[in-house]
Amino acid sequence: MFKQLSPALLTTTLLSMAASTAFAQNTPITGVVESRCIIQTDMSGTYGNPNAYTLTTTPADGGEMPVIRIDVSLADAYYVSITPPQEFSSSPSLPDQVTWVGDTEVLTVSDATGMGNYETDKVELGLTDRYDLTATGSTWFKTSSTATMGGNKAFPGGNYTALVTAECIAK
Amino acid sequence: MKYFLAVLAILISTKAYSHEMVPTYPKLEPSYMDGLYKTTMTIFNKRVEVEYYEIGVFTSEWKPIPFVSNYKIYKIPYLSTVSFDIFVRERDVKQITYVCSKSKLRKEDIAVTGVSSKICSKVR
Repeated sequence: MFKQLSPALLTTTLLSMAASTAFAQNTPITGVVESRCIIQTDMSGTYGNPNAYTLTTTPADGGEMPVIRIDVSLADAYYVSITPPQEFSSSPSLPDQVTWVGDTEVLTVSDATGMGNYETDKVELGLTDRYDLTATGSTWFKTSSTATMGGNKAFPGGNYTALVTAECIAK
Repeated sequence: MKYFLAVLAILISTKAYSHEMVPTYPKLEPSYMDGLYKTTMTIFNKRVEVEYYEIGVFTSEWKPIPFVSNYKIYKIPYLSTVSFDIFVRERDVKQITYVCSKSKLRKEDIAVTGVSSKICSKVR
């Protein structure tokens, strides 16, 4: 049979077989995906100053609400608690007590079917809102915060900073 | 329009800063020292404005439990991962429920409002 094949054709055939053998080798890529909760700051907030005695993140008053994104890769493994600021982390010397109000809401979700009830099922403990993350995926939360100076006194000029606390706790 | 949304999504995604800690359910195992148990945790810092994370060990009622690690506050530069061992006494093992990491923000790094992030893993 080989007598009927030309040397060139025979060489080509042998090379093809050798190449096929090389392609059959497998190079494994291994990896481990661990279940986790990821807290992301999508947007830092800004306080607007609609009048002398109020600082607020309400957009209509020149503020901007912080947006926090929580990603979970294991269903029903975490709950998240988000607490708006209850004090300034830095500020000028203040003339009176400050009253704080704030609230957190689900802004959007990556899975409307599995996460659609997050907002209605949340538990409110004071200013803290606690959500049960029963599905995998991403949830975006927006937090509003308003600080009002006692006695309608004016906020002194200066820089003010406050912290929103986001906690991801394993169940 | 599709291209605009794609570019917008990329811009938004690159703006996100995150804090991760694994494993979700760590296990305490006997260490090489008598009377001490240990577990290993890993933190990944993708928050550009945060460099330090504080570690804590708590009961189910959030009472702190004494532990030993190389540091109580770890310096974790942006986009880096740090793994560390936590050692606890054998007599405390049954009380330990949470191992937590909390971002430590520096005053000069916060502009108007910041986000303090805390992730707690549960010991089972």
